Amino acid sequence: MLLSNEPNAAARCESHGREPSSSAVGTPSDASGALELARAIGADGLRATLSWQIARTLLRLGFAAGLAIFAGRLITAGTFSGPAFLGAIAGLVLSSGAGLFADLAAARAETRVGNGLRVALQGALAKMSSARIRSRAAGQLIAGLQRHPERLASLAIGHAAAKSMLAAGPLLAAMAICLVSWEAALALLLAIPIMIIFFALLGGAVRSKAATQEHAFGRLAAQFSDRIRTLPTILANHALAREHGKIERRMTAYADSTMGVLGVAFLNAGVIDFFSALAIAVLAVFLGLGHLGLVHMPGFAGLELWQSMFILVIAADFFTPFRRFAEQYHIKAEGEAAANELDWYFGDAAAASNVTGHDGAKPFVSNDVNRFDAAELPPTGLIAISGPSGAGKSTLLRMLAGIEAPSSGVAALPRLTTGGCVWMSTEIYVPAGKLSDAIAWNCASVGRSALRQAAESVGLIDETLLPGGLDARIAEGGANLSGGQRVRIGIARILISDRVVFADEPTAKLDPTTAALVRRVLTEVAARRLVIVATHDDRLIEVADRHHSLTLPKQRQTAIAA
Amino acid sequence: MSVPATAKSIAPVPSGLSATRDARAPWLLAILFAVAAAASGILLTGVSVWFLGAVALAGLGPAALTFNFHTPAAFVRLFALSKTACKYGERIVGHRAALLDQVRRRAGLFAAMAFAPATRAVGWQLGNQDRLSDYLDDVEDVDYARLRVTMPVIVLLAGIAVMIVATAWLSAPALVPIAVLLLIIITMLRRAIPRIAQAWMAVRISQRSAGRYLGAALAAVVPLKAERSFAKVSGLAFAHFKNVAAEQWAQRRKFAMLDMAAGLLGPLAALGVLAAAWHAGARGNALLAPAFLAFSWLAFGETTVGVARIVLARIRERSARNGLADWNAGTSVAAASPFSSTALRQLVLMNVPRRDPDGRGLGAALNLTFDSGLPTALIGASGAGKTTLLKQIAGWIGDDNDGRFTGDGVVLLTARRRAMSHLCLHDAAILADTIRENLFAPGASDETCWAALTAVELENRVAAAGGLEAWIEQDMLSLGEAQRLNLARAILSDAPLVLLDEPVEHLDSEQAPRILSRVLSRLNERIVIYSSHTQFDAIRGAQVAL
Repeated sequence: MLLSNEPNAAARCESHGREPSSSAVGTPSDASGALELARAIGADGLRATLSWQIARTLLRLGFAAGLAIFAGRLITAGTFSGPAFLGAIAGLVLSSGAGLFADLAAARAETRVGNGLRVALQGALAKMSSARIRSRAAGQLIAGLQRHPERLASLAIGHAAAKSMLAAGPLLAAMAICLVSWEAALALLLAIPIMIIFFALLGGAVRSKAATQEHAFGRLAAQFSDRIRTLPTILANHALAREHGKIERRMTAYADSTMGVLGVAFLNAGVIDFFSALAIAVLAVFLGLGHLGLVHMPGFAGLELWQSMFILVIAADFFTPFRRFAEQYHIKAEGEAAANELDWYFGDAAAASNVTGHDGAKPFVSNDVNRFDAAELPPTGLIAISGPSGAGKSTLLRMLAGIEAPSSGVAALPRLTTGGCVWMSTEIYVPAGKLSDAIAWNCASVGRSALRQAAESVGLIDETLLPGGLDARIAEGGANLSGGQRVRIGIARILISDRVVFADEPTAKLDPTTAALVRRVLTEVAARRLVIVATHDDRLIEVADRHHSLTLPKQRQTAIAA
Repeated sequence: MSVPATAKSIAPVPSGLSATRDARAPWLLAILFAVAAAASGILLTGVSVWFLGAVALAGLGPAALTFNFHTPAAFVRLFALSKTACKYGERIVGHRAALLDQVRRRAGLFAAMAFAPATRAVGWQLGNQDRLSDYLDDVEDVDYARLRVTMPVIVLLAGIAVMIVATAWLSAPALVPIAVLLLIIITMLRRAIPRIAQAWMAVRISQRSAGRYLGAALAAVVPLKAERSFAKVSGLAFAHFKNVAAEQWAQRRKFAMLDMAAGLLGPLAALGVLAAAWHAGARGNALLAPAFLAFSWLAFGETTVGVARIVLARIRERSARNGLADWNAGTSVAAASPFSSTALRQLVLMNVPRRDPDGRGLGAALNLTFDSGLPTALIGASGAGKTTLLKQIAGWIGDDNDGRFTGDGVVLLTARRRAMSHLCLHDAAILADTIRENLFAPGASDETCWAALTAVELENRVAAAGGLEAWIEQDMLSLGEAQRLNLARAILSDAPLVLLDEPVEHLDSEQAPRILSRVLSRLNERIVIYSSHTQFDAIRGAQVAL
């Protein structure tokens, strides 16, 4: 390893600095947090990893002993020590094998932790209310789920192992040197407290430097990604030249300030380099003087050549765990950020009901809701809920469907638990594949003729707009469908199912023909089933059997006017 | 309003030889430091061992008192210090060079992206955090390629070359085991690299598939939750995540094997060199030079441990370059000459094909006339092609022969229309910058800016945030506030042709006509075309039903 990864992490702030993690919720000390979960899943794997790493260290010491004895005897005694030679080779091969197993154990454990975290996240998402899910941008959730579990796994396994080896590695090396000269071992061990003092001093300096940078230049950290994100807006406003000059200047300023922080941060790695190099230099000189009989320091004089070679080789390995741990710096930072982000998924219900993001649930206060005794709703008929935007039509609909925590005496429809429902809106899920699959997606065992009939009656069999009839190809996410076609698929689903129907603004933004079709189908279906719609379409309200009008709560009216 | 940039002024090409030389100089220095650091480390161990051996042999005889230990001891100290200093220099200079490169590359990349046709087409994929993160991963993989690949490879190859030459000179038979092991490593690399590259591609593809499925599930979260089917759909995404984990596990197994083989090189060579020297008959002092070499190999072994990481960085760089190249696959449109601010009185569209967002035809071609002072509303259901038509008029999509656009009798080609129009996108974004910069009116006075903000009823909000110089970011504003800021930009634009896509989306029903009529009255002298799916009785002007 030529370069510590630590600097890359600092430089990486340039692109990822303040993006997804800036809105992190949850605290690292959360009892039911993601980090604790990761540690629990990875406990066995971490033990295996550590065992193999300790085995590798021990075997490596064996190799060093073999090499030192072989080389020392070769030079001073003039004898080719077969056992030492074979011992060195055996130590080398076995320590490499143990190293391989340590790497594999770490990789296996990290894979298991990542998978385990995702299973837990999948379960958390399944249980989470739609309002809470919608309080975060989908892209942010996706980007997080793509990256965070692996980063957290690296923190829980790789970083944790490196941290434990920080204690075990130097201790084992010192014990091995003790076999030859406890004074030399003591000298090496004495370097540790001095290094720790340096680390503490530097750590404080780095933190204050980084804080100064964040204060002065933090806003410039993610300018490039921000300008890429907003590129069409920049083009539309003819600001390309100006923004180009600006990001170049700002990236340069940020790079300069980053170098200021790195200059101090690299001293950390420099301290490790300095002590490991110095240890070798000082030991070599003292041991050499001892061989010459020029110093008579106990533990350094009167040693065989192989003994001083042994000390020298192990002294180099003594500092390796420090270097390995320093390299894990960015893994720690990324892993902790990931743990913070993932804690959001495992947040408690109290946090869930506090969601008031602009895409989330609207505060729902209305006297009218008392009339929604779910048990009193008729078995059939079209029930329209209207009201100005912000009055909570959609929220009420979601409560009735049982996917939002009920409040103000509104309970979910009891019969939903057995029969289920069909939900119609412009945002329905349309799987990729054939048109027939898209319609029958959630309604198993519907015959092809029934499907065709439904599709025809909603005007989806249209060779010019959607060629191929029932076999028409639907792109992923229904990307090749217009808003009207998407609504028609929703209507067809209503026709082939026999469940309670919920429709959220089913006619909004539609052309008059499609809107009329929607109204017709909803009234037809309402003769046999319960249909609840949230709408501001007067013509749909007209044909409803019952109409509830929600009003804006006072507080909210003033809020919107402001 | 600033004059539209010409392609030339910000084209992503280095502006001359001096620029290229400037870019290389820090790298040369960094490589110099890296080589010096590696050499110092190797020499430190080698000289130390040689010194120990020499004094041990001298100590046995009468030479002990006359042995000059000062010179080797001084060298040992020198190498220890130079190793530390060069390593620090390597890190500092390497990162400075990488950051300089990064600034230059990213500025160029930004300009290149601006000319990519995808930027003006339907929907901006990189507006989504997941696609943006994906893109940034690619950018970063290329940014740090020199630091993570080129520099370590140069040091590694230089080290191997020097070590092999030294071995051939001092202890040639040891080259046999070294060559065998190198051959094994090279064979492993040749076999592993294509597979790892494939696995990496598979990881990226699965990662993106998972993202798409998850995106579909999240977009439809309410219907899916209501129908109790969310778990089923999100399960598809998580199945892909599982594939990603499986591929990564396979990849890491290969890396572990590679690292093991590479880690054997130094120690094995050390033993080989000593054994070969012995068998060649070297004894006593004659063994000191081979011991020097052997322990140099041992120290060099530290350098070879990172091979797997270099391989991964190289593979990621290659795949990232391919990914980034996709963005610039199209032909860039020629730059427009800056428009003169003279007013445009009439815009006539002849035979302009109607399209839906995917480019499919939608009914008969359009023939329309727009006059200045008479704002025209394009009314139609979603999917009727309103946005597409606005983008066609703005010259963002479509070819020059896609219909005929004439302004005051002069034919306006796409580049010309781009230059003379202000397109107010319905999903316009907020830049992480000050409010003043977000208004895109560098020449406007404070009064003008405040007047525009007052017209869109944002003056209190902006004053509360700290005035025009306050810093804002996307998530500080609600959708409605962002939309109103976007309308303020239109008010401040001095383009003769102003196109507003869904100007009152996210505004509540009382506020919408109020703000829209103010915006339209301020754009009185211009040709204004806006789209809407509802009609406002209170707004005067012409209407076109789509």
